[in-house]
Amino acid sequence: MMDTFAALAHGMAVAVQPMNLLYALIGVFLGTAVGVLPGIGPALTVALLLPVTYKLDPGGSLIMFAGIYYGGMYGGSTTAILINTPGESASMATALEGNKMAKAGRGGPALATSAIGSFVAGTIATIGLAFLAPWLVDFAVRFGPEDYFALMCVAFVTVSATFGDSPIRGLTSLFIGLTLGLVGIDKLTGQARLAFGVPELLDGVEVTTLAVGLFAVGEALYVASRRHHTEEKLEPVRGSLWMTKEDWKRSWKPWLRGTMFGFPIGALPAGGAEIPTFLSYSTEKRLTKHPEEFGKGAIEGVAGPEAANNASAAGTLVPLLTLGLPTSATAAMMLAGFQQYGLNPGPLLFAERPDLVWGLIASLFIANCMLLVLNLPLVGLWVRLLAIPQPWLYAGILVFATMGTIAAKPSVVELSMLAGFGVLGFLMRRFDFPIAPVVVGLILGPIAESQLRRALAISLGDPVTLLQSPISATLLGIALVALLAPFVLKGLGRFKANED
Amino acid sequence: MTSRDPAQPQRRVDRAGIVIAALLAGLAAVLVWDARGLQSTSMYGMGPEAMPVVVATGLALLAIGNFIDALRGNLPARESADPLPVLLILIGLALLIAIIGFGGGFILATAALFVTTSAAFGRRAIVVDSIIALVMSSLIYLAFDRLLTLSLPAGPLERLL
Amino acid sequence: MRQLISKVRMSLENALMFQFPARLFGAAVALTLAAATPAFAQQLELKLMAPAAPGGGWDQTARSMQQALVATGVARSVQVVNVPGAGGSVGIAQFVNGAKGDGNQLMVNGFVMVGALAMNKSPVTLEQVTPIARLTEEIQVIVVPANSPIKSAQDLAAAVKADIAKVTFAGGSAGGVDHVMAALFAGAVGADAKKINYIPFSGGGESLAAILGGKVTAGISGLSEYEGQIKSGKLRAIGVTSEKRIAGSDIPTFKEQGIDLVIANWRSVVAPPGITPEQKKTLSDAVEKMVKSDAWKEILKQKGWEDAYLGGDAFADFLKKETVRVTDVLKSVGLVKS
Repeated sequence: MMDTFAALAHGMAVAVQPMNLLYALIGVFLGTAVGVLPGIGPALTVALLLPVTYKLDPGGSLIMFAGIYYGGMYGGSTTAILINTPGESASMATALEGNKMAKAGRGGPALATSAIGSFVAGTIATIGLAFLAPWLVDFAVRFGPEDYFALMCVAFVTVSATFGDSPIRGLTSLFIGLTLGLVGIDKLTGQARLAFGVPELLDGVEVTTLAVGLFAVGEALYVASRRHHTEEKLEPVRGSLWMTKEDWKRSWKPWLRGTMFGFPIGALPAGGAEIPTFLSYSTEKRLTKHPEEFGKGAIEGVAGPEAANNASAAGTLVPLLTLGLPTSATAAMMLAGFQQYGLNPGPLLFAERPDLVWGLIASLFIANCMLLVLNLPLVGLWVRLLAIPQPWLYAGILVFATMGTIAAKPSVVELSMLAGFGVLGFLMRRFDFPIAPVVVGLILGPIAESQLRRALAISLGDPVTLLQSPISATLLGIALVALLAPFVLKGLGRFKANED
Repeated sequence: MTSRDPAQPQRRVDRAGIVIAALLAGLAAVLVWDARGLQSTSMYGMGPEAMPVVVATGLALLAIGNFIDALRGNLPARESADPLPVLLILIGLALLIAIIGFGGGFILATAALFVTTSAAFGRRAIVVDSIIALVMSSLIYLAFDRLLTLSLPAGPLERLL
Repeated sequence: MRQLISKVRMSLENALMFQFPARLFGAAVALTLAAATPAFAQQLELKLMAPAAPGGGWDQTARSMQQALVATGVARSVQVVNVPGAGGSVGIAQFVNGAKGDGNQLMVNGFVMVGALAMNKSPVTLEQVTPIARLTEEIQVIVVPANSPIKSAQDLAAAVKADIAKVTFAGGSAGGVDHVMAALFAGAVGADAKKINYIPFSGGGESLAAILGGKVTAGISGLSEYEGQIKSGKLRAIGVTSEKRIAGSDIPTFKEQGIDLVIANWRSVVAPPGITPEQKKTLSDAVEKMVKSDAWKEILKQKGWEDAYLGGDAFADFLKKETVRVTDVLKSVGLVKS
């Protein structure tokens, strides 16, 4: 335990040297600049910018690399909040409330709570990483396909609670997403589903294409169609630019809860960052004292998911550093940081090169601080973006939104899909179907299906396997309770009302 | 389509809602049709055709639900929409796709989208917007193609740079 | 995941080739990069297609080739074009139709494309391209958890023969080299390959977790992916697929253990159809020169790739044989309709 502290302190000492701080600053700046592009998430950002770090000494390189990573992640959230264009799937939940806040002139607090929330979550998760890693990883490896499937069930049940007023409309959206999730080569048998002979469809629907199409393009179309109705006037700042006391009060609990979702789920080899952000969003929606604000820009809905996103990133370091399991884009990036020195993270790394491991952890911490330092003063500048005249603002958003797709997959099919999803987003807005469940369906559907089928393949088709694992049985129980609780409570309420 | 004229009865059949229900039913049919072409291979457990059938069943049920909602006129009221700006943006997107498809390059494609969108939002200064768009696209192109080696599609303009 | 890792790895190379930091941030960040511009560049101006997204194995191979070709002065310029989609099916279709007769174009491909083309019922096949050379390969391994009762390839063979359904293999995507290898293993030990219980995972990390957690019987992957786990004793390697034992390694080959299983995840480079014999010779010579260069050897060392250069007719022959073998296996496991 003491060794842990000593090692961390040593890592810190290296990280706070002036030159290294400069590297961190440059890294955060570059990362933010590239990370704002939708479709280019933190993983690709680092991949693109890692060369910059190549010739630095190990310490400086790791630090700049951590800066790029966090900058890229924060850049994704910035566009999600400001122009409703989530840069990656994990910042989708952020876009839901964050953009509403920005439009109401509260972009400043939204950006601030997301930056500070990321910082808080990152810090807690880093401490968790230092002390809980060995214990947590034992648990994580025990997670089998049936347990992931059960976790998916929990996610579906809780998330569907946030689908809005009409269950039929929410479920319709969800099933459209599930349908889109079927498109492409079936991962388990290699057969094409719903590809209609179009080779580009064989790889399935890209989450960012769908999210950017539905959110950004769909919204531009919708706003344009209503221009004669209500001239939507965006005020970049209304009220305080900074978080008010009330904002702090409403943010700190979501930050902590988001961390609690993000860190352990991120530590699971197939946990990912999306599920904790969705879970956090629906939890905050359920627990908030201001339910009327949800859907109109509730700060809890930004604070929680952003913290969850960041904590899950730290969570992925658990299997990476203790077992050498790269389980996410994040982890792959960490690997890259090590591989610059010909090192492969794994069970032996902690013992062999503790300086590098702790250096990395310390530099993540430093990068997080730097991000705060760099971004909080810039919040005022960022929200000014919204003061651009509406025609140019939306034209710029569309150029921006298509650019990510053009850069990642410059095919006519992919761009047509983006436009098609834009029209879908427009129609869904017009006919009042919620948008988010479509993306939820696309992300969770295929995972749930693969994991269920893997579980059944291992058990040779015996569904009892889902109940034999204690983890899976527990999670399925939670899902069942969450599913039935609203009805039971309603029934009880009615029962009471009758008695009165 | 639906107007919000208060003189009209609240509950009337919503035609758009019926179309939506029909589309969902159609989608369910496509899923089943597509799943029939799949073969259960030697995989143990569940085959690739199970999930599409489950989703199709859900879609069919939701089609019925949406249909009932539409018949009852239970749908939320809609404000009138102006088709022209929507059309303009769609033309912009179509132009973008066409220019990229025919090798016109990134700069022209995004510039076209920028100008049409700007026009859709009420601006009529097409020349000014075109210049702004071309300069902006060129800068973006230079930044991302040259500096980050992201291969953005190149056309005649890009080759000049 | 494997792709992502390689995506990141590759970007290191980008910097060297495009001198990106030198151009913009060079001064500010005080980075110096060796910008290699050979004085004796020939007139070859190549277009090199990687039929995958930036970052994958093929993309890395293409960008490494670009680096080596330019550094050695074999080519004056090499432009890498990414055409991702469906295991290369999209790329090869574009290559065969669009580059026909063009002596200045090349495409990277590999083992996975053979299976992908067959499974996706691609109208374009590898028979249409002009083979140039095999470049690299990676040896495959089968591992079991450290506490597994299976100690050797023979133990696994016995288990497979006893009840093939109960032996679960974890590996990469369906129809990929891991899957083909599982089927070949079953076939080699005299079991019915059609009945293998192969469970594809989307990334090395995920399948590794399933193996470590004891959810599956055995795991299949490229050797480098599991090397750390094997060395630390968490996984037991029961056999590698090389012809001979790898120098300095104590993992036995399958051949040593009496199981005829030799397979490798190879990558190669091909030219468009319809080029003249002279054009073919120019390209083959260029690639051969590149492979023999120090720059290429340096890259191989850096990336941990095995040199597997095989040029000329020998490669054409190899490609044909692999295509037949892979297609047969995929038919036997029901992934390709016969």
